[in-house]
This record gives sequence, C-alpha cells and structure tokens, in this order.
Amino acid sequence: MSLLDFLNFHLVPGIVLGSIYAVGAIGITLVFGILRFSHFAHGDMATLGAFIALALVTAGMGPWSALPIAMAAVAVIAIGVDKLFYDYLKARPKIVTVMASLGVALMLRAVVQVVFGVDPRTYASGIVRPDDYFGILLRDRELYTLAAVVAIVIGLALFLRHSRWGKAMRAMSDNPDLARLSGVDNRKVTMLTWAIVGALCAASGFMLGINNELHSMMGWQVLLPMFAAAILGGVGRVEGAVLGGLIVGIAEELSIFMLPAQYKAATAFALLLLILLVRPRGLLNGKVL
Amino acid sequence: MALLDMKDVRGGYGDADVLHGVSITVGEREIVVIVGPNGAGKSTAMKAVFGLLKVRGGSIVFDGEDITAWAPDRIVQRGICYVPQVDNVFREMTVHENFEMGAFLRRGDLSAAYERVYGLFPDLKAKRKNLAGDLSGGQRQMVAMGRALMLDPRLLLLDEPTAGLSPKYMEQIFQITRDVRDAGLSILLVEQHAKQALAFCDRGYVLATGANRHEGTGQALLADREVAEMFLGG
Repeated sequence: MSLLDFLNFHLVPGIVLGSIYAVGAIGITLVFGILRFSHFAHGDMATLGAFIALALVTAGMGPWSALPIAMAAVAVIAIGVDKLFYDYLKARPKIVTVMASLGVALMLRAVVQVVFGVDPRTYASGIVRPDDYFGILLRDRELYTLAAVVAIVIGLALFLRHSRWGKAMRAMSDNPDLARLSGVDNRKVTMLTWAIVGALCAASGFMLGINNELHSMMGWQVLLPMFAAAILGGVGRVEGAVLGGLIVGIAEELSIFMLPAQYKAATAFALLLLILLVRPRGLLNGKVL
Repeated sequence: MALLDMKDVRGGYGDADVLHGVSITVGEREIVVIVGPNGAGKSTAMKAVFGLLKVRGGSIVFDGEDITAWAPDRIVQRGICYVPQVDNVFREMTVHENFEMGAFLRRGDLSAAYERVYGLFPDLKAKRKNLAGDLSGGQRQMVAMGRALMLDPRLLLLDEPTAGLSPKYMEQIFQITRDVRDAGLSILLVEQHAKQALAFCDRGYVLATGANRHEGTGQALLADREVAEMFLGG
C-alpha cells in the first residue's frame, strides 16, 4: 500500500472521525470538570441535534446553515433538561444524577424515534466525489467538518482563556468553594456550561450525520469512544479532549490492520482500559473525581 | 465604635453547637488574632463572621449593620473577605487570573487594585503568568491574600495563614499582614503559632472549648501566666 493510499483511506478518515469525537469529548469533559458527573445523555443529545438539523434541511435549508440553528436549539434544550431533571438532584450523591442522565438519554432517543422514525436518513442523497488536493482526496463535507471543528476549538479556547465568564467556568472547575467565595454565581455558570455543552452535542451529531448517515442510535453508539477520548486526554482538560478524540478516531480507523473490521468499536474500549491501567489521570493530568 | 462586633455568638455546622458564646471585636486598622488549643473553635468563630455557620444565638454587627446569618456572597459585597486555610487559590489558573477572579464582582478600572496587590507582593509580579499551583507555599499564601484584597475589603479574615510554612515565610506573612493593615484594612486572623502571633498582633483572644477564655493586648496575653501555661508551653 502506498503512502497516499494510507493517508486517503485510513489517516484522513481517522482524523475526520477523531475531530468529531473531539467535539463530543470536549462537552463530556466540561460536564465532568464543572458539574462533576458523567453525562450519559451526551450521545443522544447529539442525535437530537443531528435530527433537528435534518428537520431544517427538509424544510429547505442548506445543511451547513442549519448547523448554527441546531446548535442554538440544543443549547436551549440542554439548559431545559438541566432545570427539569439534574437541578433537582444536585444535593444528592452524584451517582443519582449519572443514572438520571441515562434516563434522559432513553427519553431523548424515544423522542427522536417517535418524531423521525427509526430508519436511517441522510442530509443529501447521491454520491459525492472527493477533490484531489496534491494527491490527498477530500470531500467538501470532510473539509468543512475539519474547518468547523478547528473554529469551534479555537473559539472555545479563546472564550475560556480570556472572557470573564470563561474564566468563571475554569474557576468553578478548579476550586468550586473558592469560586463561590469570590462571588461567582453557580447557577449562571451551570446554565452557561449547559448551553455550550448542548451546542457542542448538536455540532458533533450533525457532523457524524453529514459524514455518514443519521439514525436514532447514532449518538448512543459514539458515547463510548467520546468518553474514552475525554478520559484519555484527562478529565476536565479541553486540550486533552481534542487530543484524546484524535487518538481514538485514528486508532479506530487503523485498527483494521490488526483486527477484523467488526472489532473497530472495541478499539475505543481497549484504549480506555489501557489508559485507566497505566495513566488513570489521562495524558494531560486531568482531575481525580 | 468597632468595625466588627461579634457578641455572644453560639452555633455550629450541624445540630450541635461548636461555639458556646464567643465575643470578638475588631477596630479600624487593627490586627486581632484568635489563638487557642485544637478544637477551641478558632476557625469556627471566623467562619461564623463570614456566614459559613448556623448561628443560633448572639449577633454579628459589621460597620453598624447587623450581618448575622447573611449569605457569604452578600458579606463579600459588604466589605469582608475571607482567605480559607487550605485550597485558597485557583491552582490551574495563573497568578494574575487568580487576582482577576478575586475582583470578579468588581466592574470598571482595576488597574489601581492590581498596582496595590503587586506593590504588596512584589515577588509575584515576575510570576504573574505562572500557575498558582506551581508556586511555593509562601507565595501561594500571598496569591490567596492578594485574591481577597482585589475586592478592596475593609476587613480581611485569615484562617491560619502560616500553617505549614517555614519560619522565614511566617515572618514574611506577618510583615505583609502589617503592610495590609497600614494600607487601611482591619485584620482578624486565626493562628496556630500562638507565641509569634501574639507578639505581632494588636490584640488577641484566647478561646477554649468554644468560648472566650482570655483577651487583651498581645503583650499582656504573652505575660499572663495562665495563658502561658495553657498554650505556650510555659
């Protein structure tokens, strides 16, 4: 196999998949770091975002212009889910919220199945031929996906590093008691976190859908690789989630050299076990929860 | 009139009282220290001032206003800042970001506040971009005090600021406390190092089993035989 074949058939798809995982893993790591629980409804929230975009596309919008609207919609839904369910449980042990999020996952999926059915769907039908960039074959949708992920990651990093409320989110993740003593309003940070997490969910679901197809289990199926990516990078670390996402995505695509293709999904699980065994705090030294 | 007037305060964290009648006053530009054996309720008394305790009796008046049972965020806005004993910095944020978080509730131009904090802690100026978690214990304590000073409080509460520090840093923290006082603040601190703390404060209180035992100027308490026998190792 030539180098170009390797790049085109394995590495590029791995990077595209990995950057989608990265967007999901960032959301998981933000919930972990700031709200301190594992959010099992993350994948199904992504599915919901993908299908909201599909509804807009069906109504005549272009997929990429539907994306920001779907992100805003899921941001609002995520805040609503928090107010309706998680907020009531905040004084209870965190495991109760974790289990509640599993229930929310089933509920969101059921809503998608009732409204959109259980058959696979696509944003656009027909075969798209890739363009040749000096031997590297890229489809427009892959190029846009990578550009969108880069824009999201840079935008989020700038927000967390330089804005007043971004710093408040980091402070809440770093030392919640001291953040409260400093006058940071916990409720506002929680709302803001859910808005960002919801938007990220919608983006990851949309990008999964546009690079493949939409179906009601799509989000649930990527939950494990996304969690593996977040833990691999270090819980609470946004940079870590990006790194972890890329590693898991590329590893999944390269695993077919060693394993039958049906075992692709097991790669993330194997990576998760490996990192928990040798470096449980993740590559970038995440939190211990 | 005293800036802080805590009268016969009783209360605790849960149902049981830890404080059984503690009275402490802090005047303008005064350094007041609370000492006492372990379990005497020193830190608890300070937390009562900051609204972190269920107060079941007595009153806490600050600057002429009754602040008993106020929530901490309201007390912060009123002009009291609290530096906890442990976990008192944002470890994964830079020194400067720690100060920014200290001023979270403040709007407008903060350059004078930064100038004052870096003036008090010149060592930190070169380290402003370092993560607070990477600093030495003494410097971290300075970051913690600086963070609290960013809101321009009138009263600073310090919970064992010298715990675990070397004698060199202890002296430095005491010196900084004096500098902060000279900048116009009042300070109430809890100290484990009773002898050194009494020697440097204006007035002191000795608590035991959740109640006042002795009070007076630092020098008078140091000279008191009973106090010496109780806590200072004769």
